[in-house]
Amino acid sequence: MIQTNDLWKRYGKTEILRGVSLEVSRGEVAAIIGPSGGGKSTFLRCLNGLESFDGGSVTIDGETIDARVPQARRREANRRICQKIGMVFQAFHLFAHWNVLRNVAEPPIRVLGLSRPEAEERARRLLDRVGMGDRLTAAPSELSGGQQQRVAIARALAMRPQAILFDEPTSALDPRMTGEVLSVMADLARDGQTMIVVTHAIGFARRVAHTVHVFDKGRVVESGPPDRVLENPAQQATRDLLAEQG
Amino acid sequence: MEEDASRDHPASIVAFPTPPATILRRLARRGYVLPTLAILCLARFAVIGRADTLETIHHTKKITCGSDMEGGAPYIYLDPENPNRTIGFEKDLFNAIAADLGAAPVVAQGQWDTLLQVLDSGRVDIVMNGYEWTEEHALRYLSTRPYYVYRLQLMARADAGFRSWSDFTANDSARPRRRRIGVLRGSVAERFARENGGSHTTIIGFDGATDAMEAVVNGQIEATLQDVPSARFYVKRMPKLRLVGDPVGRGYYVIYLRKNDIDLKKRLDHTIERMIQDGSLRTIYERYDVWNDAQVDLASWTPELFATTRTEANTSVGNWAIVAKNLPLLLQGAATTVLLAVASMPLATAIGLILAIARLYGPRPARFLSRVYIEIVRGTPLMLQLYVLFFLFPRLGLTLDPIVAAIAGLAINYSAYEAEIHRAALQAIPIGQFEAALALGMSRGTAIRLIIIPQAARIATPAITNDFIALFKDTSVCSAITLVELTKQYNILALSTGAVVEFAATAALFYLLMGLPFSWLSRRFERNAIGAGSGRGIGI
Repeated sequence: MIQTNDLWKRYGKTEILRGVSLEVSRGEVAAIIGPSGGGKSTFLRCLNGLESFDGGSVTIDGETIDARVPQARRREANRRICQKIGMVFQAFHLFAHWNVLRNVAEPPIRVLGLSRPEAEERARRLLDRVGMGDRLTAAPSELSGGQQQRVAIARALAMRPQAILFDEPTSALDPRMTGEVLSVMADLARDGQTMIVVTHAIGFARRVAHTVHVFDKGRVVESGPPDRVLENPAQQATRDLLAEQG
Repeated sequence: MEEDASRDHPASIVAFPTPPATILRRLARRGYVLPTLAILCLARFAVIGRADTLETIHHTKKITCGSDMEGGAPYIYLDPENPNRTIGFEKDLFNAIAADLGAAPVVAQGQWDTLLQVLDSGRVDIVMNGYEWTEEHALRYLSTRPYYVYRLQLMARADAGFRSWSDFTANDSARPRRRRIGVLRGSVAERFARENGGSHTTIIGFDGATDAMEAVVNGQIEATLQDVPSARFYVKRMPKLRLVGDPVGRGYYVIYLRKNDIDLKKRLDHTIERMIQDGSLRTIYERYDVWNDAQVDLASWTPELFATTRTEANTSVGNWAIVAKNLPLLLQGAATTVLLAVASMPLATAIGLILAIARLYGPRPARFLSRVYIEIVRGTPLMLQLYVLFFLFPRLGLTLDPIVAAIAGLAINYSAYEAEIHRAALQAIPIGQFEAALALGMSRGTAIRLIIIPQAARIATPAITNDFIALFKDTSVCSAITLVELTKQYNILALSTGAVVEFAATAALFYLLMGLPFSWLSRRFERNAIGAGSGRGIGI
């Protein structure tokens, strides 16, 4: 479903990604953990084209983007990829000028060509599912962080994505709100939604993920099922990380 | 208004007539000092109460004459050989007058049709600039004996189909087409054309004599009626123009002074009289090729020719009846102002948005061109841009209607300012909004259109509303390309009726009323919007 092959990314002389090869299959929940600055978020943003990369390739649902293709020509392929995989950001990024319902209903109308009634029906159902069905007309600025993030998840789901990328979805939230959001995500995982989750919530990775990838200094240092990687880490970097996060 | 000499009149309060002074004391005693002063200024008592100008001239050794040098040849203009010097037959006459008074001649530049208001304000001592003697003016100002006998000359392109004034104005069924004639606004020629132009002639007022000639050369109008000295001077410099037929009309140029400057008037009359008698005036006129047989009448002129039938001049404030009577004209001017602003601002906003988007998101050449456009348009005056559109574009084969040129000029000028407002607003939207849109599969264009622009619009609205109200007032510049909008209409009415204060107050009120609905709409839009820029700011 999602595959990267020897992905490299540089900012000037700083190497952010140093040859990341990773595979996520359909229905799989992959957690990416690792210290800050390890390249986790950059990796995620390379998958849907928010960041360009300098070496290697990304293949998503049969669509391959190769670093050798000029940036301008990647734009269209990136757009097609974005229509297949959703993204949930750390800072939510709900559209500030639209109310809750419109945030969720409008993108499928504009991008997928859904009719308005159809899109709004879908949006209501999804907002019910994330527990936001009673706040349809609220402005994003009137919501708490946890509420905003649940709307953002509904917004991603409304596009019926084949996979969703979560970029530290709970890092901006306090523990109670973190719980709200993680339970929604666990719910999605049970339904078989393909997800890649960059997270510091080790507990969530342990309970929900099928695979855990540990990033350090721009490389994947360890991959495997959570009970092996998290209970019995083979790498020092993983042990340091787990010790640090308690 | 530029002026070399500034003067104080400490004696002005002493010279107040008694009744106002009494009122002043009474009001001042009640503590209404500031309002009282304001009323006094408005009422122009300061002018009435001014010390005699002749005394001041003796004291400062300077005499100041209001004049318009723009297209002012051969009356008064910059010497082409030495642009630091002004020359012209009126300038030479003024020099002689100043010499007789033992004072230095100072010329103050002002727009021609406002010179008498400048005289009212006390900034100049006299006005001498091809002003004819009229009964209306004579009721409000003192005038000297005439120094020149003017006639009017029709000018047209060499290929014009008429041979004389009567030919031009004839109700000829073979030429049913509307005929447009350009005149200097507020001039004798304008009045003559109104009275004798016939039903098929449209009169278009220009701010400068040469502007009207330029418009004839460009084919925007068919003819112009000019004072003979002007026509004869410029016909040599504009090869496409011809003098058409014999001069028409006839009247006297005089020097105007404030009503109470009787002593100064006597001195000026004396000098002019002497120069007519000893032939020095003729020498000046021959030097500038403006002498002709009609000037013989100068010597035979008698004061009876300047007798006025009415005696009451309207100098009192509070003549609102005259405002009411001319309200339709003011409303017409206001309608033109509204049309100009309402048509040009949406254009400016749209062009500005395109420029801002090109500058922020466009490819390198578009970014560069947008910047160049903004810098050039923002860095040159609106007046100049209007001149280019109206007077220079016809030379390239593109003749624009005044209203089209004005709307285009305003839109182009304001678009550069709007572009920068849009740019700041677009840049204020967090990048995350754009990334979220892209991550949902929107194209960059869709993301900008659906997500960025609507949010930026809310941020930009107060600044754009600001500019819109500024544009309302900037429309007055369009009178330079013959449009009669509110300010120009006010000016014309104030000049012809003397009710300056009343018309100024009415025009100001109109501007205020026109701007208010837009302020209100803009605030409502901001209030109803959600998202960026709609938040309650600190302190509310």
